Amino acid sequence: MSKPKIAIFDFACCEGCQLQIVNLEEEILDLLGVADVVEWREAMSEKSDQYDIAIVEGSITRPEDEERVKKIRSRAKILIALGACATMGGVNKLKNNFELDDVKKCVYKQDANKPHLSTALTKAVDEVVNVDFKVHGCPIDRKEFTYIVRSLLLGKTPEIPDYPVCVECKAKGNPCLWEYGQVCLGPIIRAGCGARCPSSGFRCFGCRGYVDNPNVDAAKDVIEKYNLNIDDLKTKMVLFGSTQEPTL
Amino acid sequence: MSIKKISKDEFRLVVDKLIGKGNVFGVKSKGDKFDYGQLESSKELRLDYDVTLQPPKKYFQPPVETLVTYQGQGNYNSQYDCEKFVLIGVHPYDMIAINQMDILFSQDNYDSHYFARRNNATIVACDVVNASQNVFASSMNTAVVKDGFDVLLTDIGDSYIAEAATQKGEELLALAQKAGEATKDDLHKRQAVWDKNKKELNKHQLNCSVTYLPKLLERAYNNPIWEEKAKTCFSCGSCNQVCPTCYCFNVQDDVNWDLKSGKRERAWDGCLLDGFTKVAGNHEFRNNRADRFRHRLYRKGKYVPSKIGGQIACVGCGRCIGACLPDIANPVNVYNKLIDDIGII
Repeated sequence: MSKPKIAIFDFACCEGCQLQIVNLEEEILDLLGVADVVEWREAMSEKSDQYDIAIVEGSITRPEDEERVKKIRSRAKILIALGACATMGGVNKLKNNFELDDVKKCVYKQDANKPHLSTALTKAVDEVVNVDFKVHGCPIDRKEFTYIVRSLLLGKTPEIPDYPVCVECKAKGNPCLWEYGQVCLGPIIRAGCGARCPSSGFRCFGCRGYVDNPNVDAAKDVIEKYNLNIDDLKTKMVLFGSTQEPTL
Repeated sequence: MSIKKISKDEFRLVVDKLIGKGNVFGVKSKGDKFDYGQLESSKELRLDYDVTLQPPKKYFQPPVETLVTYQGQGNYNSQYDCEKFVLIGVHPYDMIAINQMDILFSQDNYDSHYFARRNNATIVACDVVNASQNVFASSMNTAVVKDGFDVLLTDIGDSYIAEAATQKGEELLALAQKAGEATKDDLHKRQAVWDKNKKELNKHQLNCSVTYLPKLLERAYNNPIWEEKAKTCFSCGSCNQVCPTCYCFNVQDDVNWDLKSGKRERAWDGCLLDGFTKVAGNHEFRNNRADRFRHRLYRKGKYVPSKIGGQIACVGCGRCIGACLPDIANPVNVYNKLIDDIGII
């Protein structure tokens, strides 16, 4: 049996999630032992239109990007969204909360009207094409990425946590950051990161997105219990939790 | 078995001797709270603690552990990664929880991984000195403990009364060279601590005898309280994670890059979590938050008791109360509300 072909593509993002793949170091040789990487702009110059698994990083922000990702989808048997920008639009989606012209002026000043800076509302990859698997996080967790790839090579569905960060945080024996005045998003955000931020004393920023069935009503209750304003929660949620509509 | 009176200074020397010989875990401060951790010096040990963030169950059932490594083609090896260790400072309610785990893990399939750790442990229990904010051990009859430990320490002011309950405990106490036998007067002082704790470790008062809980729950399955409380449940499983008697786990394989060899791991799971009951074919039989919320209270008050001779599987440590952000986890509040609703028959 020939080795499956993998291609890695990037859209609007910082390319930090691909960098996590580059940073696999020795393990990258293991990956290359079981799969052929046929296109990967960040790490090699070859290109190919023939691949089984497409790994797509970044969010979709321009009409021409929509066309490109549709083409990638049509060629791939399996499409994996890599990192928060791809899985949910990521930080790029913050701009959806404002008028696009204002956003451009804020970022590019006098160059705001140059044609190549014309963008549309930010979309996650699955708002344009069908996504088979998501590697969550900003950036992704290398161990989780390799686990997902190995599972797919075996023909197995990878088990991605659908429980909140609190599970991993409590298992580490951390005290709850809410008790110390931090509006931590842990109770509604998908685990899998090993509660990395709360374990270092920083609240969960929500980079892995909501669990499938988040209890937002409960979050409102807790806000009241700790004498905080609902805006304290909302402003934390927009960083990674913005949508197509203004969320603020 | 001997009962000795050991000065606090002498006990510190004992702890330092133990640290010199091997792994010693005990209660230390962690910010403004307490938790178990490896002791580097007896100075770190805080036997005046109120409650630890985590129960000591992690020393017997770690959050994640490798059960088996496999090489493919039917070849595999069970993994037992543990050395002898001493665990110091286990409060009576946590000791009772460990005693319950001992029964549960020996039932049905004897859990060799659990007992490899359990048999390597020497447990020094200690009576509570300062009650925590949410403890209700007095309501649960778990404020004092009579067995399971190797040594039981009771703080009587300037000294500890130390009772050895096993040969391992005798050997540990033999390290206290200056300790003498406890006198009748010392034992009276210890009894006074027990009497006090039996009454005062009770920040939440259960309004029925603890042994009545299975009967109460028999009539409460369709009570509206489950839906009502679960409205604000995050399904975050914090109550499960900090519970000394929650022992459910999930098992998963992680294959190596050769796609043949790998390891089988088990990790803590929790019945409050979405997906806890998910089975092949994506079927999930407790899909509803309220069903999962009810299940935990039934496990503690009815289901597990039927497996361990009627003992209630909530030991009143109060950790779930502190860990629950929307403040719905308090078992006493739930049981009392049910008593108000449907009465005691």
